[in-house]
Amino acid sequence: MTIKGGYCQKILEMDLSKNNKRVIEVSDSFAVKYVGGRGWGARIIWENLKHIKDPLSPSNIVVIAPGPLSGLYLPASGKTSFSSISPATGLYADSNMGGMFAVEIKQAGYDAIIIRGRAEKLSYLFIDDDCVEVRNAKKYKGLGCTETERQLKEDLGDETLRIATIGPAGENLVKFSCINSEWSRNAGRTGMGAIFGSKNLKAIVIRGTKDLPVFDLTRLMELGEHAYKTLKSHRLFEFWQRQGLMTVVDYANAAGIMPTHNFKDTCFDDADKINGEVMETFYKIGDAACYACSMACGNVNLVKEGRYAGTVTEGPEYETACMFGSNVGINDFAAILKANYLCDEYGVDTISTGNLIAAVIEAYEKGILTLDELDGMALHWGDSDSIMELIRKIGEREGIGNVIAEGAHGLIKKWPAIKQLLSQVKGLEQSSYDVRSAITMALAYGTSDIGGHHARAWTIAKELEVGADWTLDEKAAIVIYHQTVRPLFDMLGVCRLPWIELGFNESAYAEFYSAATGIETGLEELLKRSEAVYNITRAINIKLGATIEDDFPSWRCFNEPIKTGPLVGKKLDREEYTKILKLYYNKRGWDENGVPVLKTLDRLELTDIKI
Amino acid sequence: MRKLTVIPERCSGCRLCELACAINAFGVNNPKKAKLRVFSLYPHPVIKKPIVCNQCGIPKCSENCPAGAIYIEDGIVKIDEKTCVACQMCVTSCPFGAIFVHQEIAVPFKCELCGGNPKCVEVCPKKAIIYTPEHILGQSTRLAGVLKYAHMKEVEYFEHGIAKKLRYADIEKGKTSGDNNDN
Repeated sequence: MTIKGGYCQKILEMDLSKNNKRVIEVSDSFAVKYVGGRGWGARIIWENLKHIKDPLSPSNIVVIAPGPLSGLYLPASGKTSFSSISPATGLYADSNMGGMFAVEIKQAGYDAIIIRGRAEKLSYLFIDDDCVEVRNAKKYKGLGCTETERQLKEDLGDETLRIATIGPAGENLVKFSCINSEWSRNAGRTGMGAIFGSKNLKAIVIRGTKDLPVFDLTRLMELGEHAYKTLKSHRLFEFWQRQGLMTVVDYANAAGIMPTHNFKDTCFDDADKINGEVMETFYKIGDAACYACSMACGNVNLVKEGRYAGTVTEGPEYETACMFGSNVGINDFAAILKANYLCDEYGVDTISTGNLIAAVIEAYEKGILTLDELDGMALHWGDSDSIMELIRKIGEREGIGNVIAEGAHGLIKKWPAIKQLLSQVKGLEQSSYDVRSAITMALAYGTSDIGGHHARAWTIAKELEVGADWTLDEKAAIVIYHQTVRPLFDMLGVCRLPWIELGFNESAYAEFYSAATGIETGLEELLKRSEAVYNITRAINIKLGATIEDDFPSWRCFNEPIKTGPLVGKKLDREEYTKILKLYYNKRGWDENGVPVLKTLDRLELTDIKI
Repeated sequence: MRKLTVIPERCSGCRLCELACAINAFGVNNPKKAKLRVFSLYPHPVIKKPIVCNQCGIPKCSENCPAGAIYIEDGIVKIDEKTCVACQMCVTSCPFGAIFVHQEIAVPFKCELCGGNPKCVEVCPKKAIIYTPEHILGQSTRLAGVLKYAHMKEVEYFEHGIAKKLRYADIEKGKTSGDNNDN
């Protein structure tokens, strides 16, 4: 098995404490076994785990990795994974972003970058092919993400540099701060921004000029062209270009799964004021796409009149529209755009921020929090002024913002009574799907290795449509299948949306992989590699103290039935959930506490993983 | 003669044009070797614009080439690699920045319209790059000018219950012929 393309087989390791650069050669067997992206990230984190103390200490590392397919001629090949130990959950974490950053890393000749240590002063990492320098970033201290990127490009005199940066929130170690690139592409979840901040790393600036190695470019071109044609012929292709993920608003609201008023309700009376139609008709001024993607799900929006006039941002997509729309009771699309802009600028995750703000509003409504504790802000649903102010306070860690900045775990520590209002798993704030009507989605959130995020498995639509007669066994199986396919995209360094949204066949990715690397591989084999990585992240979490309790969704799912909408009366049964969780463990080859057993590790060729 | 033209409003900035161009031109997966480039600016102004060669009739690149290496063949501006001294005068003198260099390629390179079947046009998922007959160039501006003509009138009507507007430019009333009034 010899790699003939796809990989650069080099990792750039930068120790910021020692200002020491090292280029690590990657063996064929390591490269193929863990595929790339989040797979490499998880394996490298595992190997360093015993040295990592606190997530925000210099001992933590972050692995920034595109995949073997990143940058190649195939749909949406611009994904970069960031892997680390999360300051929000204290467990394994990864988050990925689109845009152009992945391509640039690979063109500079690296498959991954590992950041260690902590720079003495606020710095940025400058990479121009083989030239790697740590430079002073004092000038950019406190600047927002967009502004930092703009200034850096101006100062360095090159508009085509690719930049990943943190905003004030990352510098201030906000537990759900993100890394921003190309102005609106974010590695949003799990607090990657705070990890950069803790390393005094304001930004990575990169320029690469090298050819990407491809084993059989002719075959790849044929496969790529076929893929683009297939996507284009999909009946929703053009609609998707127009509205992107904003199309989900109408679906989720009609289905009764759209979190509203801090996950209390599941449909929003004013959903038709914050949907894709409104965006397209009144706000959209342009399309935006990640590298080599024909789907262009990004939407550039501008507020042309009213109090938020002049606000321009790429976004929102569904998650943001829901978390800063229905979930906080805002029915003004312009206000959502403003909130989106502020989050991008401060560099905080829109999902976590909207989720936490909604919980604080409800806590005030229920009398858990007093006016004093909220710095005198009498919060209520749809109170956009206070919500904007809260985003600022979080980013700058001021007053109540300083408490919210600690994330779900921090809020619970300070005010234990808020726990019942918080929708979170493992300390990661849950993204925008209510799970009381769909146990597979609850299981997906519960067993997601990074916490309450839908990226690992999104089974809710299928269960609601056709899952009425599924047995618990089948339900557990479908979650595992999704948790195996979806992370594979992150490992290959491509986007999953062509597959999940426009029905592009996943087996095509095995062909892409074979053409790129020269290693003939089937989908089964890739899925096995993906399953192995899920076991590694599980092992990391167990080592870090995760227990079966961390695999449960939030309190509300079991105790408060849905009050309105098409799924009224639904809630989860704790006993049934426990049952499906045990089934899930069993199917995964994990023991009853969720620990992978030796036989499983053996089957996945992970015998060196000692839990 | 057909030429490339771009509609920046449509461009999503995906750079598929760059990638396909480079693969077609040099046989490598490297968008930095593309013979066109997409520029994305944000947020002031928000614009994405592919930069393409206009195949000028009197090319500045050719005028400024000290080696006489740039010539026109069938309306396409070409660089003769053998004559070129790689001084990059053409790169800086092109008013559009449509000539490119790369450290691994000996001489500057530019768009030669892929022998009449431009790859960028073929792959653009947003139809932002168009290969159009020369006489069409400028027509959208002319059309916009006509549509914006200030003295147009409007009539509102209903068709299947939907309100519609029709705009028209009325003839001048009360005058038989403009110049006859003095007589």
